[in-house]
Amino acid sequence: MEQIIKMENVSKEFKILKRREGIKGSIRDLFSRDYQILKAVNDVTVDIMPGEMVGYLGPNGAGKSTTIKMMTGVLEPTKGQIFVNGRVPYENRTRNAQDIGVVFGQRSQLWWALPVIESFRILKEIYQISDREFNDNLEYYDALVGASELYHKPVRQMSLGQRTLCDILAAFLHNPGIVFMDEPTIGLDVSMKSKIRELVGALNKEKGTTIILTTHDMGDVDALCRRIIIIDKGRMIYDNDIEHLRGFFGAYRTIRIQFDRHAQKLDDEVLKHQADEVEEWLRIKFPHAQSIAVSTEEQWIQILINEDEIHMMEAVNCIQEHRQIADMNLQEISTESVIRKIYEGGIV
Amino acid sequence: MRNRSKRGISLKGYMAVLKGSIMQGLSFRASTYLRIAGNLVYLVIIYFLWKAIFASSPTDTVNGMTFYDTMIYLVLAAAMFNFMDTFVVWWIGDDYQTGEIVLYLTKPIDYQPYLFCARFGNCVISFFVTFMPTFIIVYFVTRGSILLGINMLFFVVSILLATAVNFCVDFFVGTICFYTQSVWGVNIMKEVVVSLLSGATIPLAFFPAGLRRVVDVLPFQAIYHIPLHVLTDKTMNIVDYMSSIGIQLLWIAVMLGISRLFWKVSVKGLTVNGG
Amino acid sequence: MKKKKQGFAYYAHIYKMILFQDLKSKMSYRADFIISTIGMLFTNVAGFISFWILFQNFPEIKGWNYYEILFLYGFSLLAMTPVQCFFDNNWNLMDALYTGNFIKYYFRPINLFFYFISEVFDIKGVGQFIFGVITVVYSWEKLGIVASFRNIAGFFIGVVSASLFMVAIMNFAAAASFWMSGGTSQLMILMFKFKDYARYPIKIFNSVFQFIFTFIIPIGFIAYYPSLYVIRPAEVSVLCYLTPLYGIVFVYFSYRIWMKGARQYSGTGS
Repeated sequence: MEQIIKMENVSKEFKILKRREGIKGSIRDLFSRDYQILKAVNDVTVDIMPGEMVGYLGPNGAGKSTTIKMMTGVLEPTKGQIFVNGRVPYENRTRNAQDIGVVFGQRSQLWWALPVIESFRILKEIYQISDREFNDNLEYYDALVGASELYHKPVRQMSLGQRTLCDILAAFLHNPGIVFMDEPTIGLDVSMKSKIRELVGALNKEKGTTIILTTHDMGDVDALCRRIIIIDKGRMIYDNDIEHLRGFFGAYRTIRIQFDRHAQKLDDEVLKHQADEVEEWLRIKFPHAQSIAVSTEEQWIQILINEDEIHMMEAVNCIQEHRQIADMNLQEISTESVIRKIYEGGIV
Repeated sequence: MRNRSKRGISLKGYMAVLKGSIMQGLSFRASTYLRIAGNLVYLVIIYFLWKAIFASSPTDTVNGMTFYDTMIYLVLAAAMFNFMDTFVVWWIGDDYQTGEIVLYLTKPIDYQPYLFCARFGNCVISFFVTFMPTFIIVYFVTRGSILLGINMLFFVVSILLATAVNFCVDFFVGTICFYTQSVWGVNIMKEVVVSLLSGATIPLAFFPAGLRRVVDVLPFQAIYHIPLHVLTDKTMNIVDYMSSIGIQLLWIAVMLGISRLFWKVSVKGLTVNGG
Repeated sequence: MKKKKQGFAYYAHIYKMILFQDLKSKMSYRADFIISTIGMLFTNVAGFISFWILFQNFPEIKGWNYYEILFLYGFSLLAMTPVQCFFDNNWNLMDALYTGNFIKYYFRPINLFFYFISEVFDIKGVGQFIFGVITVVYSWEKLGIVASFRNIAGFFIGVVSASLFMVAIMNFAAAASFWMSGGTSQLMILMFKFKDYARYPIKIFNSVFQFIFTFIIPIGFIAYYPSLYVIRPAEVSVLCYLTPLYGIVFVYFSYRIWMKGARQYSGTGS
């Protein structure tokens, strides 16, 4: 099969302004300015096949949205080549736009004051969607998420979740080959998140649409993506199956503990302080263990260890020597921790 | 501060807001240059327009104003507009429509002085970057027709007071946005009324007597007319100066009172109805 | 998927659709609509009052009498109606760039400028139009201009061509925001202010500024040059006849600059 997206050694550089500090600096900035070159994307090569659902991950400012902008024809790469559906997106922006859909979690692309159905009708004309295709899709949407209830509501009166839902439906309306989604579940509550995930999963499966999903929410990744691509500081650091990635961390375990039995709400700072103490005890006791990472979540202290280095019981005993553990449970390593490990420069 | 028992932010806090707004204003280099260029072109237009107008008049002095007086008056009015127009109506309207106004109400600050500091930075920059150069250029273009004496002192004081009157008017008008859903419409009406009735488009001296009587009892003349009159009228004595300042002070007191009262009532309506 | 045709009919159809939808939703903000219309009326009334005050003190300006200048004033109001009605979204450009919302305009298979501009139809311009019609008819009458075919046709062609200049000037000014990192649309505000002086005969300026206001910031074409054909046929110059052609060229360039800005702007965001 032919790749639907092909990126070869793509780089993108920006010239950015360095601002000086203070009022004096601001006045000096009026007369002379310093620029520096930022490599937002650095030598990235990727092939994506039709129908794939790819999680595109990376910390903030890693170059994710720059890549998406290049694939959608908004930006021209400084170096390298991109082909989307066999075309160079930047040179054929409008032609490329006909075959792609884009969803931005936090900004709606629908007409703010219009009822959704009217926005859809305008899109029908813009994309020159046939009546049959259009009606089929509306029916399908209704069967999928009961969308018709929302059709007559203006976008400005919708909740964020409803708006995102409609934006996703709008992006698929012209049956594009590829849909780009940028943090589609950002700011949504748990039930809305899972509804959106189900919808996206169904659309990918039944329409065979290729989906590129950027997100910070590992729940999205777990629910939807088999393949993930991780980018950091503009460089691609991982591109493979998500299971393959977990394999690297097979010996990793997360121990979750609490010191206070009746876990009354602890101050975040107190909890953070406890976590720091725990980390110190473990580091003194096991100076050679590279993998120890202590974090906090809700009322829990989470300790990530690699069983090849430390046995779980050793770690627990070490903590017990200092302080009584009141409650404890054990988890496999989560995708969240895997990704964090990788950002921190772990093994790949 | 109105309510001492509440922990309000200190003067230092307000100063920090002011400093931030100055720095932000300076960072927009291009728009700073454009404002200067714009004032210069405006000066040219006014120069030629009024030169042509005065050339068509049989006398050199019309309603007690010479061509140069009129130039000084109008060009400086435009330059003042530049530094006094801080989009306060837009900010209030925007804060209201986005619901952010509620956030300010929960913070231990008084919205009015907060807004003043947040927007006053622009005034400070514009004063030095656009008003001062314009003033100097007008001085030379009109061959020193601006009297540099005691009037300058009163002019500076009067400009500061004018800024305060303008802010209070803006604040009052901004609060109207709570009721109208329309920021653009309210703002344009304000701008039109203020620039016409304050003398910013045509000096008040040219107004027919009937209209003049109406304008004299409105607050708008305290924004542009009074400072410019203080600057250009060479026949004023110390008592005239003092009474001009007095009128401005009176209007500040009145407008401050009205705008704060109106704000208080409107905010109460907001919390009762749940905005 | 095969390439679909996007001709004039396609764009006209989409514009019509968006326009009607937009009007429908505007009507739902009734208070805003009414207040904005009154606001627009205020501007025109105030403009008229300052005019009137001026002529209370001075009988004429450089040989131009009250009715002649009133005609220029009405003419300029008509010429500015299209920019007000159809191109008002340019005022939101700076904000869209500042907040990053501008990105969404790149994702549709449709002309970028068209898509952006089509979003807003500003009905307030209609009030200005009506005011302009009244002013022109009144001064036309007072000046005793013959309602001949020559005059009426010349007037209509003049107004349409003049409106192109205002569109072009505002396009240029708006496009500047692609290159400048400013908090306000300073250049647009400036140009918007200048257009008020389009209502005076350009002959009041010295030759340098006549040149500037003819060829660089062509406010002379918003009322003065095209009006000459009707109110002072004896003074018509070649520039007057060139107005339509020149207007088209100017609008075309403003469009190209706007698009160029939009393409290069995308290179600065993150």
